[in-house]
Amino acid sequence: MYLALREMRFAKARYSLIATIMVLIAFLVLFITGLAQGLAYDNASSVQNMAATHFVLEQGSNHRFTRSQVDHAKLEAAERIVGKNNAELLGLRMTTVVPFGGTKKVDVTILAVEPDGWLSPAVITGSSLSADAAGQVMVDQKLSEEGVSIGTILVDQPSGTKFTVSGFVRNESFSHAPVVFVNQRDWLAIQSQADQPVYNAIAIKGATAQGSELQAALPGMEVIKKSAAVSAIPGYKEEQGTLTMMIVFLFIISAFVLAVFFYVITIQKTSQFGILKAIGARTAYLARSVTLQVLVLSVGSLVLSGILVRLFEIALPESMPFRLGSSTFVWTSAVFIAMSVSGSLFSVWKVARIDALDAIGRAAA
Amino acid sequence: MKNRLELRAITRSFEDGGTARVILDKLDFKAAEGELVAVIGPSGSGKSTFLSVAGALLEPSSGEVLLDGEPINRMGKQELADVRLRKLGFIFQSANLIPYLKVEEQLRLVANLAGVSKTKAAERARELLDQMGLSHRRTAYPEKLSGGERQRVAIARALMNDPSVLFADEPTASLDAARGLDIVQMLARQVKERNKSAVMVTHDERVLAWCDRVYVLENGKLIEQ
Repeated sequence: MYLALREMRFAKARYSLIATIMVLIAFLVLFITGLAQGLAYDNASSVQNMAATHFVLEQGSNHRFTRSQVDHAKLEAAERIVGKNNAELLGLRMTTVVPFGGTKKVDVTILAVEPDGWLSPAVITGSSLSADAAGQVMVDQKLSEEGVSIGTILVDQPSGTKFTVSGFVRNESFSHAPVVFVNQRDWLAIQSQADQPVYNAIAIKGATAQGSELQAALPGMEVIKKSAAVSAIPGYKEEQGTLTMMIVFLFIISAFVLAVFFYVITIQKTSQFGILKAIGARTAYLARSVTLQVLVLSVGSLVLSGILVRLFEIALPESMPFRLGSSTFVWTSAVFIAMSVSGSLFSVWKVARIDALDAIGRAAA
Repeated sequence: MKNRLELRAITRSFEDGGTARVILDKLDFKAAEGELVAVIGPSGSGKSTFLSVAGALLEPSSGEVLLDGEPINRMGKQELADVRLRKLGFIFQSANLIPYLKVEEQLRLVANLAGVSKTKAAERARELLDQMGLSHRRTAYPEKLSGGERQRVAIARALMNDPSVLFADEPTASLDAARGLDIVQMLARQVKERNKSAVMVTHDERVLAWCDRVYVLENGKLIEQ
């Protein structure tokens, strides 16, 4: 510890340069992580926020709600196993609506839920869904940016059905489209041909133990976890995959940048380390010294870039999907530090191999 | 008089292209308290090897090294590092200071490695630097020191942990005659005053007058002059 910090004090320029690179990389790691999380949330918050743990979908639907069809008979079969309160029908349709009188079209996702059930989200302004009020819907707050307010009439383009916005909910979107919650009567109204309503999935709550039983009772159906349903949302996997790859690469780059930097300065200091070993410094002491420098650099640059990211977050416009929760921050930082330290191992190995004998008979250090 | 350092029948050979080359051949050596012993010899005669073996840096092929009467042969790497830290002091050719430590910190480092308390280390560093006439350079970095000053710091550092034996590897090599003489005088005085032993390997015949004994290393043996 004695050596590590004094060396950094002495060679300020050298260590500042590497610290700057580290700050930039750490910033990019945190920023992209935040963006990935934000996009994931923006894409799938509706499903993520549902109290469901599993979904029952038609087999062959590839885990996609839009491809699956279920009816009341299936719900009853499911209810017999998990209990009446733990299964609910979910209707989902992606569509385009036009605020009445306007011309601007908005893509939305219609979710049909039981108004008093556990799939129905809490309203933040206005009134919540009711089973018998026809044409009353709750919409995601994001629609207010399109000029929608309570009382606005939305026209569903394919069916021509009119809905009146009665309340707003928060953080409800599916495939990046704001969600419009409708009750089951209105769900039936937008289905052109059916005399009996067809839904897309059954949401199941807390059925971890009954999974196989459920599967057996519902032939032709598939029971999937919520996370599987989330990653099957169109575009979700692709978006997250790209960003995850960038993050992984940044981690590897940061490890290599540090590895190269420390390797070069370790080689430069070979005879110095030789002298230190000759006068009695143990290898472990010198290795700790190198590792401590790496830790100081990576933790320091994380703190700086953390502050930068927070400032950036304040400056970002509302519409930019960015979320960096403290648990994600801690987790990302931990991986960053671990990668940095692993990058220093090469230098530690080099230090361990330096012989104290190098100090004898040498003219220059 | 007590022997601080004793080498008994030291042999050291290297594999060199399939044949064993004997560098040190059943070499015997003693250095008593208060003695500054010089070892001279042509290049390649094995002076560095001799110093490395005596300084617990290199294991002899056979023979025994005794420090204050204690054999150090069968010690592990870490124990040997500890012996070098606490019982031996090294002064190398040149630039053997750590470039990023101030003069006082060079000394404090070895105390820190040995686990000496801060106040004790500070006191001892001040005393040593006073004696070496370096008080005014306490906070200077090595790059700002002259060659002679650097070697004086190196002597002070070697004395920091109150060792039994000092080893000097061509300490005057990078100095002019007057400075070189200064350094050897200073070394000789410290050895006498503090009852240490010192072994100096050198090329510089001008400084031999200040040494108690002079050996020539030839054919793997030491011959007293």
